[in-house]
Amino acid sequence: MLQQDHYKQSVYKTPFHERTSELNILNEWTRWKDYTVSTNYFRTDLEYFSVRNTTGVIDYTPMVKQKITGPDSAEFVNRFFTRDMNKIAVGRVGYVVWCDEQGQVLDDGTVFHIRENEYWLLCVERQLDNLGIAAIGFDVKIEEITDEVACLGVQGPTSCSILKAMGFEGIEHLKPFDIKHYDFQGQEIMISRTGFSGDLGYEVCMVNEVALNFWDDLFDKGEIYGIHPFGLDALDLVRIEAGLLVPGQDFMVAEDAIRPGSTRSPFELGLSWLVDLSKPVFNGRQALLEEKKRGSRYTFVKLNVNGNKPAEGSYLYNQSGKKIGNVTSAMFSPSAKANIAFASLHDPWKKGKDKIVAEIYYQKDLEWNKVMEEATIVTKPFFDPDRKRTTPAELY
Amino acid sequence: MTRKNKNIAIIGGGHNGLICGSYLAKAGFKVDLYEARSDIGGMASTRELADGYTVPGAAHLLHQIDSGIQKSLKLKQHGLSYAVSGLKTVSINPKGNALIFDDDNISGDDITLREQDQYKEFKTTMKKLSGFFKKTYQSRPPRLGSEDRKDLTSLMSLGWNLRTMGQDSMRNMLKFIAINIHDVLNEYFEHEHIKGSIALDALLGNRLGPRTNNSVITYLHQLTGDLNGVQGSYAIPNGGMSSYTQALQNAAESAGVTVHLNSPIKQIDLDDENKVKGLILENGETVQADIVVSGIDPRSTFMCLVGPKYLEPGIVHKISNIRMRGNTSKLHLALSGLPVFKGVEPDDLGHRIINAPTMKYLELAHDFTKYGQYSDELPMEIIIPSIHDDTLAPKGRHVLSAIVNNTAYHLKDGWDDSKPKILENCLNQLENMAPGIKKLIVHAELLSPVDFENEYGITGGHWHHGELTFDQFLMLRPISGMAQYTSPIESLYLCGAGAHPGGGLMGLAGRNAANEIISRES
Repeated sequence: MLQQDHYKQSVYKTPFHERTSELNILNEWTRWKDYTVSTNYFRTDLEYFSVRNTTGVIDYTPMVKQKITGPDSAEFVNRFFTRDMNKIAVGRVGYVVWCDEQGQVLDDGTVFHIRENEYWLLCVERQLDNLGIAAIGFDVKIEEITDEVACLGVQGPTSCSILKAMGFEGIEHLKPFDIKHYDFQGQEIMISRTGFSGDLGYEVCMVNEVALNFWDDLFDKGEIYGIHPFGLDALDLVRIEAGLLVPGQDFMVAEDAIRPGSTRSPFELGLSWLVDLSKPVFNGRQALLEEKKRGSRYTFVKLNVNGNKPAEGSYLYNQSGKKIGNVTSAMFSPSAKANIAFASLHDPWKKGKDKIVAEIYYQKDLEWNKVMEEATIVTKPFFDPDRKRTTPAELY
Repeated sequence: MTRKNKNIAIIGGGHNGLICGSYLAKAGFKVDLYEARSDIGGMASTRELADGYTVPGAAHLLHQIDSGIQKSLKLKQHGLSYAVSGLKTVSINPKGNALIFDDDNISGDDITLREQDQYKEFKTTMKKLSGFFKKTYQSRPPRLGSEDRKDLTSLMSLGWNLRTMGQDSMRNMLKFIAINIHDVLNEYFEHEHIKGSIALDALLGNRLGPRTNNSVITYLHQLTGDLNGVQGSYAIPNGGMSSYTQALQNAAESAGVTVHLNSPIKQIDLDDENKVKGLILENGETVQADIVVSGIDPRSTFMCLVGPKYLEPGIVHKISNIRMRGNTSKLHLALSGLPVFKGVEPDDLGHRIINAPTMKYLELAHDFTKYGQYSDELPMEIIIPSIHDDTLAPKGRHVLSAIVNNTAYHLKDGWDDSKPKILENCLNQLENMAPGIKKLIVHAELLSPVDFENEYGITGGHWHHGELTFDQFLMLRPISGMAQYTSPIESLYLCGAGAHPGGGLMGLAGRNAANEIISRES
């Protein structure tokens, strides 16, 4: 249900707003899908370090949530997404992308296989239209439940200890991408071992009514574990280190693109592992088969750039000065101690042959400077601690 | 695999299916054709109206039969003969002044010499324009954005055909193609009766009013074919409409096609990789086939026989948005004697009689259609085929067949309640046109678009398997990306009116599809 009297305000408040607005001493907010959420609470770098060293909490209620139910749900999701959805068992979460008919990526997200014939899709862009079109001929019901479900990301090395201290028995036994339902003050809440930080972490979905109580209990039990809220700026840092893409930044959402060449296929985003061409049908399959034959236009790479100036928005050149691509996301990573970036490369770049040189502009006392820095391709995530995978999760 | 050991199963024994099958069998494929009904011909067949009376089931005039097909399939040898050809069009109006269109000549209803010249000029211009259509109809349409050499050359020849029409024709084409017949006719004529009569040709079988854009395309489309070398000419075959499709069946069988009647298809059988495996019949029988060709409409083909689950969502979305809401009914009367139409000479009674007195009349009828209602003044095309063919009715008795336009598939009050009222309206209208006709009626029936859907399995009961409008034309027919008789399912092809170049009895969709299959599958 939409919030009452929504028209009196230009944005919605999340169910956590009473607490987040108290903690947001910088009063910096971002509009995210009609909700307002904290950009920064107190200091971006300290928020970032709370995620990396103790536990950070992010209010990600505005994440668009769609519920798919009905007898044909399994068949439906298998035709909608590019990967083999039969491999995502009940109680598991899967990372997914989906395409338009031309095989261009519409969005990415996570699918929660909550129970038999019930899936939730969490993503950035609203998908009711695309899901509805794909539902022709399927016995499924598709609802958007964004406003009914409050979500918190609890991310960082001590996150498991905090949730355990809150009384969620057996939480440490959740494997990455596992889902478990718990009772919280008489309401069912869902905890999954997922997140955007590339570290040990959990996501908690709950009904709006218990949101504030959950927050209070979380911060109460979490205090001795160094719990802090973090905003979208810090989120952007941890997700780059984790090697995760954001639609609208690292690729153009195919529906929003105006120029035909500006969209990307899953192959062009380094997501081939999410495409199962042996499935007989899914949206974009025909086009992706043709791309396989013809070759892709773009290559997605993670870069380690020399120097310490973030290559934000940089043009990339080869050794002979020909433009070969763009940087889509960049930062200096405190955890990897490296100057890292995501980039989309194109012709005439040749893998293994061509150098990659970033043209980086930076400001010193209002004056712009430029450096050309060589970059090397990195295949693993920039930040990838073992505790991300260790089960049972480490307790502190 | 060579052609000889590839099995082809064709769904639907309408004229396009038969023509496609004949060419494929001639090329050396083993062809089986499955027809759901107990007789061949689909919309071009005869139907028993009452004891001793038979009428054309749907189409009632032979028109636009492609002469190339007629020759190469030797339809004359296979039994096609005309009871009458070169039919005139007699347009009646309430005042009892009939207008007579005989090829490019026009007479009656106080026509002046100037108007006769105007008509000649109009027809010359329009025939030139339809010549462009004719060329493009003869081959598969190109794919847009394709780098295939064949596509590029056919796209170029499309442009070339346009350029070589001559400057005036090209300008006219670009000017007329997207506008409506109302505006075009107002440029040429003042005489309301002439305009109404011509406009009907653009609207019959379609869901359009004279002021609806696209109605020039539908006008040019029906002018495209020729009969015995006369463009846009009409004929009635000997032995009822079935004799046309009977000749096609004979041609198909002599080429080696096996025809299976009473064989409704339940499903197109696909393997694990969604490739065609064969057909599953309603009776549970399975048939193996390397190639399946569907002569039924695209929506039934993909939504019912393939199933949306086996297609990409984008394709399903487009298929379910094909505009194919039928708008045309058939009125059939068994008569105890010949009626007398006001203002129609007895010698002209056997010709094509139309009721479209003005464009305003047609537009008003369309206004009702738009809102799911029906006018009590409906445009009609009437023929009395028994005048030319005495096998259709007992001696001295007659049958009347009328195409009634502007009877929408979706009626607000539903067809069950509306049908008796519409039939009554039609009979009252006829009584006004031909006083005393009601007393001659032995039996009367009205077949609605819903009846056509049930009887012939056409979604929406649309005769052309989809409106023939600019957005569903050439490379956009049936949908963009599926324009060359192929489909997203490997080895499943389309050969019906839902594919380029669309409806009518011309049969080019069937022949073009056969050519495409031969070049892809050999």
